[in-house]
Amino acid sequence: MNALRDKYAIVGTGKSRLGQVGVNSLGLLEEAIKNALDEAGLTNKDVDGVVVRGADDIYSHHQQVAARLGVNASFSTSLDNGGASQILSIILAVMAIESGLATTVVCGYGRDSWSRTHDKSGAGLAQNDLIPAAQRPREHGPEFGHFGAVAHHAFGARRHMFEYGTTREDFAAIAMAFREHALRNPDAVMKKPMTIDDYFRARLIVDPFGLFDCSLNTDGAGAVVVTSSERARSLRQKPVLIKGFASHNNTKGWILEDHMVSTGAVESGERAFRMAGLGPRDVDTAQIYDCFTYMVLTQLEDYGFCKKGEGGAFARLGALRLDGELPCNTSGGQLSEAHVEGMLQIVEGARQLQGVYGPDRQVPDAEIALISGHGGNQVCHSTLILGKA
Amino acid sequence: MAEYNKPIPVPSAESKPYWDGLREHKLMMPRCDACANYWFPPSLLCPRCNSAKWTWTAASGRGRVFSYVVYHRVYHPGFADEVPYAVAVIELDEGPRMISNVIGVAPDKLVCDMKVEIAYQPITEAITLPKFKPVGA
Repeated sequence: MNALRDKYAIVGTGKSRLGQVGVNSLGLLEEAIKNALDEAGLTNKDVDGVVVRGADDIYSHHQQVAARLGVNASFSTSLDNGGASQILSIILAVMAIESGLATTVVCGYGRDSWSRTHDKSGAGLAQNDLIPAAQRPREHGPEFGHFGAVAHHAFGARRHMFEYGTTREDFAAIAMAFREHALRNPDAVMKKPMTIDDYFRARLIVDPFGLFDCSLNTDGAGAVVVTSSERARSLRQKPVLIKGFASHNNTKGWILEDHMVSTGAVESGERAFRMAGLGPRDVDTAQIYDCFTYMVLTQLEDYGFCKKGEGGAFARLGALRLDGELPCNTSGGQLSEAHVEGMLQIVEGARQLQGVYGPDRQVPDAEIALISGHGGNQVCHSTLILGKA
Repeated sequence: MAEYNKPIPVPSAESKPYWDGLREHKLMMPRCDACANYWFPPSLLCPRCNSAKWTWTAASGRGRVFSYVVYHRVYHPGFADEVPYAVAVIELDEGPRMISNVIGVAPDKLVCDMKVEIAYQPITEAITLPKFKPVGA
């Protein structure tokens, strides 16, 4: 058995306000971290580790977060793996505690994309400009009219459609399932039901992606507190055990090999399942990184929840719904709750295992949750498997 | 003719020979002396074997549309009059993949794996873009 399996735990989870909040990413992180510490029955005096991520143009993010928390941290850093960072923050927390560098680590992510793109002072940014200018390509893309993440992922969707016969109806099934979940989640930004007609009537952004294939533009933060399972026993909350984790990065490039249609979930999932001593059939709920509908579809295949090329049928037959074979993104996910780069999906996975929800929203008898993180433009991937204590 | 108002590439020290080649209607790619690998975009070491010995080599300019998307949203004012327009990932016969446009084909007539060949499109005195057209068109 893997020596780290079940040795560490999530002992508190927190969210900030979500949606059109009007607070910057550092402030949102304060809210989320305070909520997570409160839930754990801990205070800033107990924290000696900080692993966070936020807006790309904030210098040394972790320093600013730790300063706001009033913490001198023995282990503190910011991450740079896009949407894969949030699970990586938990992996680093475990590594730090295991090596004696820290005992209690807060992991968090905050973003204020809605505020930045709706700034009335004239400093408002277009969505692609959220990436600092110095980081944007100056050749081999923009001259052809290629800009940003939507198209990067849409290239993969198109190739998947070509190779496997996947359709936009398949993507719609994913968007609609998550929207239905959001209607049960009072925190979710999206409040209206979505029909297949709504999906197809929505404007195209970068074909094959329309508006409802794309995750939300929101303000929000999420945070969790990680410590040893031994220490967790004396804390207020029933802990959620960290059973397995892994990462894999298709760093040769999203454009190369089969990376457009096959994610790092293949390797990351295999290693995380092995660490946990589990397989896809043991998973009661999956919280899959849903920057775009298609990315859910391909990750479901890559994790082995269905065969390669069958993700569309899996979704269309209702597997992802709360009463389906694999209740997926039960909060509404980034497509319908809020886009907090995967951090809220860790929160959701943990809370499903704590069994905190009412019957309209709870996955019955949830014991194992798989959470995925995906980012850096289809390159970085991370996997977290949590278990009920 | 209206003023050219799309982004103009800014060559780097590494990519300058590539852009110089395009101006002379050659598609120059780094090719490894040790393992014969072609790669793109240019960098200092062969990504396959990490050899620092390689040579700028003219590629055939032929390849296939590996994937494509159709932009409906305007992200840059230079493309405001062009939506919906297609952007493609072209896989060259030599192996490298690159972002480009396929000219002479309506976006809804593109298909993956369509055979294409290079079509040089000068936009300034210094810069010629590598665009692609269906083979034989």
